[in-house]
Amino acid sequence: MLFGYLDAGSGSLILQAILGGAAGILVAFKAWKARMMGKRAIAGADSESNVDDSAIPTES
Amino acid sequence: MHRADPGSFRDPASHIVFDGDRVLRLLDERGLAAWTALSGTDFFSRGVADGRLIDTRQVDHGGDAAAALEHPRIPFVSYPYEWTFSMLKDAALLQLDLLAEALAEGITIKDATPFNIQFIEGRPVFIDIGSFETYTAGEPWIGYRQFTRQFLFPLMLRSHVGVPFQPWLRGNPEGPTAGEMRQLLGPWQRLKPSAMLHVSLQARMEERMSGRAVRNELRTAGFNADLILANIRKLRRLVADLDWDGSRAGWIEYESCEHVGRDRETKSEFLEQALGEFRPARVVDFGANDGHFSEIAVASGATTVAVDGDEPVLDALYRRGTEASLVLSDLTNPSPSQGWAEVERPGLSERVRPDLVIAYGLIHHLIYTASIPPTAVTGWLASFRCPVVVEFVSPTDEMVTKLTANKMDQELHTGRTQGDFETILSDHFEIQATRILGEGSRTLYSLRPALNG
Repeated sequence: MLFGYLDAGSGSLILQAILGGAAGILVAFKAWKARMMGKRAIAGADSESNVDDSAIPTES
Repeated sequence: MHRADPGSFRDPASHIVFDGDRVLRLLDERGLAAWTALSGTDFFSRGVADGRLIDTRQVDHGGDAAAALEHPRIPFVSYPYEWTFSMLKDAALLQLDLLAEALAEGITIKDATPFNIQFIEGRPVFIDIGSFETYTAGEPWIGYRQFTRQFLFPLMLRSHVGVPFQPWLRGNPEGPTAGEMRQLLGPWQRLKPSAMLHVSLQARMEERMSGRAVRNELRTAGFNADLILANIRKLRRLVADLDWDGSRAGWIEYESCEHVGRDRETKSEFLEQALGEFRPARVVDFGANDGHFSEIAVASGATTVAVDGDEPVLDALYRRGTEASLVLSDLTNPSPSQGWAEVERPGLSERVRPDLVIAYGLIHHLIYTASIPPTAVTGWLASFRCPVVVEFVSPTDEMVTKLTANKMDQELHTGRTQGDFETILSDHFEIQATRILGEGSRTLYSLRPALNG
């Protein structure tokens, strides 16, 4: 999908999951956990002086 | 030869051009794919049929665009900073309803701005057909933040804080950020669940997560359209419950003034005569107040714009259901041309372009309250280059006495007598008809632009 010309705001996007109710809070938690794990992967790669760009989440 | 709409350029997939009187929307390949998907839905047919979506049909086009759509011309374009509370509220509800109905058929709206909505015959109509596109599973609602900034927060500002949103939107049409809104709310207002979620939590999350890509994670974590729909349902309830008691202030009691009831019938007849004589296609009613004279212009078949600076009376007129286009504007400080290159949103005088101006119960307020010189007021009326129906109010009138109760004579501009007024008029107009009202302190004039004016 092509993304719009609009800056949706990262925090506002995650918030939407929370606003969606109980099921959404679970989604937000999973997304947050995935982000934390992604960060750890980057930190680990950094410590080996071998940054793997593919570990950085990007907009599709 | 097409003329680009200077206000339609942000979306690369779809933009408006004018071909004479025709309004065309030119699409690129992506825009065409979105239109093809949209035009096949029941939601789209239903929305056009009930007037919530602008009428749209695909037309042949010889240019470079992948496709062209044609829309009817909007009689008068107004902007959210010229709307009343109830108008912005109805526009917000329309935005949410359309998104919910679209999502049910696999379509989303890629933005959420009141600039995509116009009021036609008193009802909000969604005009930006290019905003619809196919919904991709797992995607969040891209327009949520924009919805809060341009619809929800302005409404909350009026409803919760008691501050008009129009000056803010005129100063910054993007609307307040969640962080700014948090600062504007009082400590008790911040404790409302809606404020905690949409204002405080959003502000906090925006601060913490600014610039991070999160869409892949949301999709992977199982985000889906049901979550958007649940959010929309709650937002709809929240917006529907927002209220503003506009009846407490302003000119809402105007109709009870003695001179208003006494003169109304004569003024109506005088206006009807002018409408019959000049047969205008477009009328602007400056100082429209409760819209009585605007309604007479509407009944004559003219496209009518009712302009007034008082939100409670204009909001009451909107809620009563008028076919006139409404503009909330202080005439001593009307909406200027602004936006990109100062042409994106033309100023009020560029948009009204009347064939007849109504200025009943107006010019004494400009002269005595706003200290506009009588020559400047008449010059302003003449600048529309069309017939004018105007009410002159003499310095001895009861209302003028009230308006000048705390002003010394030397603090007022010269040229205020009826003789002065007629002399000034003769520079610009020929007097077609006059009518003295009541005890003689007020006179109606029907004016035609002088050939050498």
